[in-house]
Amino acid sequence: MDDLERLYTTHYAAVVRFLYRKIWDADRAEDLAQEVFIRAMAHRPEKPRAWIFAVAANLARDEARAAIRRKKHLTLLKDDPVPLSTPDPSADETVERDERWAQVSGALAALTERDRDVLLLWDGGLSYPEIAAQTGLAVGAVGTTLARARKRLIEAYDRMEYTADAARS
Amino acid sequence: MRHVPDEELHAYLDQALSRSQCVEIETHMASCARCSDRRDANAALRDRTTALLAQLTPRSLIIPPPYASLEERRLKMPAFSRWQRSARRAGLWAAGLVAAIGTGWAARSFLDPGVVQRPVEPASVPPSIATAVPLATVAPAPPDFTPAPEESAAPRQSPREVTVRPASTRHEEAEITPAPVIRFISSAIPVRTDKGLDDSPVSSTASRSPFERIWRSVQWEEALQIAGSGLPFIEGMPVVGVLLQPGGPGERPMVIVAQQDGSGEVIQSIEGPVAKVTELLDRQSMPDVRSSSLTRTPPDYIEDHGVVRRNNRIMAVTGRLTVDSLNSLAKVATIR
Repeated sequence: MDDLERLYTTHYAAVVRFLYRKIWDADRAEDLAQEVFIRAMAHRPEKPRAWIFAVAANLARDEARAAIRRKKHLTLLKDDPVPLSTPDPSADETVERDERWAQVSGALAALTERDRDVLLLWDGGLSYPEIAAQTGLAVGAVGTTLARARKRLIEAYDRMEYTADAARS
Repeated sequence: MRHVPDEELHAYLDQALSRSQCVEIETHMASCARCSDRRDANAALRDRTTALLAQLTPRSLIIPPPYASLEERRLKMPAFSRWQRSARRAGLWAAGLVAAIGTGWAARSFLDPGVVQRPVEPASVPPSIATAVPLATVAPAPPDFTPAPEESAAPRQSPREVTVRPASTRHEEAEITPAPVIRFISSAIPVRTDKGLDDSPVSSTASRSPFERIWRSVQWEEALQIAGSGLPFIEGMPVVGVLLQPGGPGERPMVIVAQQDGSGEVIQSIEGPVAKVTELLDRQSMPDVRSSSLTRTPPDYIEDHGVVRRNNRIMAVTGRLTVDSLNSLAKVATIR
């Protein structure tokens, strides 16, 4: 098993998640993740992990632009729940999960692009130097940016939860 | 006392410091309540963020397709599609420029016919017209550029066009061949009391089936050879039968693996293309045989006229158990 294959085994799911959080289409995220790894096979980058996330970010950006052009946003959001999963949750659980999902994705969307990128890259398993190389930040600034992004995400999420609670009551 | 700076604290919590730096910080925090409080607050923030982000994952299982299948797809990609894309972009630019100049020229002729009568100086020919074609040919080729023999005839496609298609254009294989009902599997496959994977039956279930042309009962080992990594399997239960239906070109076969649980009940894991599995489940006529929720399995990638199409596959576990039990089994079922 070569390095890239090992990386594929360990990071495929992380790349899919990273892409999914940018384009909100599970099937498309998987397609793009595979394309990323196919490109990596062709290029054999020196630092494959950072390279893979950089290419994934570019593909996600292209995809978002294309989606805007096609005005497909609503379709994508509607299409997403189709994938089949193990046990069917109850209706209550489904509603609650959907609500939470909307709140978290809304909170993520409320971040600046840089905060969001840093957060998602870190969650994808990238190191500080790798995040710095991809975002153009100084290595020393990654931790601070990350902490700020986390704080903002949680603040935005709490705000949305509070609003939802208020609307319910 | 020098407190731990924010940057160092964040890096410490994200495990971005060397071991010696960590030791230094931990030593300090052991005696500094303020810094340890900051650490706890930041750690809580980090953990909560991780938990929130964990909710933003696709609702289906993420199962990577075999690495070898990606390798195959890479080999099928055009050797210099990037060059083609650049060339196409340059061509579009040139065409746009020509169109703009042409329109301007026509408008000028229309508004001021006298001007057109004047001879056109050779120098006034827009250079872009002359360079339109060469632009496409001088676009930088990648270092490993090797012209493919069929390049001139091959359709121009970007890598994305080759590897994936938008979800809206995907379609499942419509060809549904007659399939046995689930009852067939439970009743036709003899229940074996002896355990072991090698003991899958070779009994002639096919001979009793009106669909022997399509479904085959095979040995476990043979099924492994034919289906590769696509055999659904629940750990800890002996296999009592494997039925296999060959797929179309580039498609993995549809598989039914029958296993026996501790109480002697036969559990069937059905794996195959979405349309075929749902068709099979719809035909299930025995009221006491239930099915688990459907779970996605690695899809097939089928090449069709130079375009690779994704064909989604699913798996269901069926048997005379409650849906909850079957769901639990589906959770632990693996694709071999």
